[in-house]
Amino acid sequence: MNIQELLSEKDLIICVGSGGVGKTTTAAAIGLQAARDGRKVLVLTIDPAKRLANSLGLKRFGNDETRIDLSPLPDARGELWAMMLDNQKTFDDLIEKLSPDEESRSNILSNRIYRATADNISGSQDYMATEKLYDVVNSGRYDLVVLDTPPVKNALDFLEAPGRLARFLDKRVMKWFLQPYDEGRVFGKLLMGTSAVIFRLLGYIFGREFLAELAEYFHHFRDLYEGFATRHQAVVELFGDARTAFLIVSAPNGPSLEVAEFFLEELGRRKMHNPGLIVNQRHVTAGGALKARDVLGERSRMLSADLPTHTGGQLLARLGAAHRRLRELSVIENGLVESVCRRMVRGQSIWSVPRLEEDVHDLPSLGRIGEHLCEDPKIVGTVG
Amino acid sequence: MAKRLAPHVLDHAHPLAGPRLAHRWVHPLHGGSVNVQEVLQSRLLLVTGKGGTGKTTLSATVGRLGAQRGRRTVVCEVDTFRPALTAVFGQAPDYEPTRVGPNLDICNVTWRDALVEWLGDTVPGKRIVKAILDNRVVQTFLEATPGLRETVILSKIVKLCDQYDQVVVDMPASGHAISLLGVPGVAMNLMRGGPIRERAVQIKSRLSRRDTALVIVALPEEMVVNETVELWERLHREVPELQLPLVALNRSAAPSLSGDEIALLDRLESDAALSDDPAARELLLAGRWEAGLEEATAQALERLRAELDVNVVHFSRLGALGGYEGGPQRIVQQLAAALARQELAEQQA
Repeated sequence: MNIQELLSEKDLIICVGSGGVGKTTTAAAIGLQAARDGRKVLVLTIDPAKRLANSLGLKRFGNDETRIDLSPLPDARGELWAMMLDNQKTFDDLIEKLSPDEESRSNILSNRIYRATADNISGSQDYMATEKLYDVVNSGRYDLVVLDTPPVKNALDFLEAPGRLARFLDKRVMKWFLQPYDEGRVFGKLLMGTSAVIFRLLGYIFGREFLAELAEYFHHFRDLYEGFATRHQAVVELFGDARTAFLIVSAPNGPSLEVAEFFLEELGRRKMHNPGLIVNQRHVTAGGALKARDVLGERSRMLSADLPTHTGGQLLARLGAAHRRLRELSVIENGLVESVCRRMVRGQSIWSVPRLEEDVHDLPSLGRIGEHLCEDPKIVGTVG
Repeated sequence: MAKRLAPHVLDHAHPLAGPRLAHRWVHPLHGGSVNVQEVLQSRLLLVTGKGGTGKTTLSATVGRLGAQRGRRTVVCEVDTFRPALTAVFGQAPDYEPTRVGPNLDICNVTWRDALVEWLGDTVPGKRIVKAILDNRVVQTFLEATPGLRETVILSKIVKLCDQYDQVVVDMPASGHAISLLGVPGVAMNLMRGGPIRERAVQIKSRLSRRDTALVIVALPEEMVVNETVELWERLHREVPELQLPLVALNRSAAPSLSGDEIALLDRLESDAALSDDPAARELLLAGRWEAGLEEATAQALERLRAELDVNVVHFSRLGALGGYEGGPQRIVQQLAAALARQELAEQQA
């Protein structure tokens, strides 16, 4: 499969991979490429570090969908929108949407535990990502949504986020816990048997006051359970949908390719559509050794006439050394990519994006990355 | 020591290897922020930074160095599904510390094990702990209770500090590190009493100690520097008891190209006679990337020092443009030598 097909056939592309491999840049470049081809695209990033804003050349932007000015690329026919996720805001919005009435809404939003934790507890980032995703994909406002996933310490966190929250809010569990609360006894009145022992212990661990607050927190959430469960199911379906693709993004080095292999395996096991792997920042050479003096000696002499005598010789020596390292690196990278290739299944693609001459933090250079992605990928199981 | 380095050696050598470069590269150390010596001597060392910057390698390196100097050291990861320490030490860390060398242990503070241990330490009676853990409802409840995971993990880390001379924590990346370290403060606000609050107080007091140090690992890239600055601003706000960090700038390059050489490189790059020669383009590009790395390193150092007002220690990229050949063990050895040199320079300063 090539990128052009992907961009026109899919309406959700999810970029996964380890930290620091250019996921955000890749997501932005893919989005931009689709926008140039005439689609209306939203790039959604969850990264608290605001890197998408960086790579789009913006100072920063908030939880709102922001349209990117594509005028630096006159050939762009579609629209590119970008948005960065604000956890607390998304959670608040969600609760607003799911609450049956004004009272339960304000109960939750004013709960001390909710306020203290919604933005602070690890894992909620991953959950909020899927939540927002569900929203924008279903809004029908975009032809294509490209999601840049958060840096994951556990590579599976993201895929499992929707399930985790739904499990927390499992009705039976909450019912057990909330029973005394609902009956107005709020820990401290007589409870029988095991429950009594466990409640006493929980009271001891957390302190009764906090436990009561916690019960209230869960109690309020209980009203939302149906909503969460439905949305969880919908997100699971979305991940497995034929119009969704997961792209693994990696840098050409051992540690991040190892994470890529892990994703290859997991996505395969979960039967999620994974057209392949994008390897960024490849160092590409024509292959041969070069003698800087032979290639550049004459022009260097001519151009350095006004510079101190040793300048040309020193520069050429450095260029030679730099080129030798570049060749070494290119060989190492080829070997690493070859070995990942053996872990892939027939028909999957590997897109190699060469390292650009310049740093990527504006639209034209993002555009160049998109163009490289449009070149024919190496397809596993075929010759050449 | 007084040997003058040939130009071609400079690209690979650590900048502190020779006095000529030491003069250009060692900057006066900042009084308020920790230096390498304090990092190496810390009781608790927290290593964080953006993903892919080299946190694990640096954690392993400090651990190795401490162990070599006779300190009982443990390097731990925090509840990771695929522990990164495995690649460095050739064996996967378990919850219980395992020996990987003289004085050196590794472990992975997985949260469920930490919870069991924490309950055992907190709740009187083994039978009761077992009853709690066997109950599915209670398990789910404990999983759902915000902040409990972080509290028991940090409790375990604090406990390790009493069992070892040095505990090096290979922390999660930026945002997750803030969440983890911010929890005790949140717990203290929410709870007036009880064992969790007590633990939170203990954790906070450990974090505020003079022998607790924070290292943020960064790379000489604009976006990484942005994230590093932002990470410390947020950490400082949410975990105010932490002292100023040391920033470790990995994969950097010492200045080697002179102004004249760069001027000539510019001219060659825009020389029409070379514009269609692929061999010339390739050589010039390799040179441009080198020059770019040197420039980015200088900029990153300047920004980190100006915007964070902290000490920055830099490590030259190793091997081919920061390649990984030789395996993690070799990188750890080289990094350890560089750290030791930096420490020596501090002592001499």
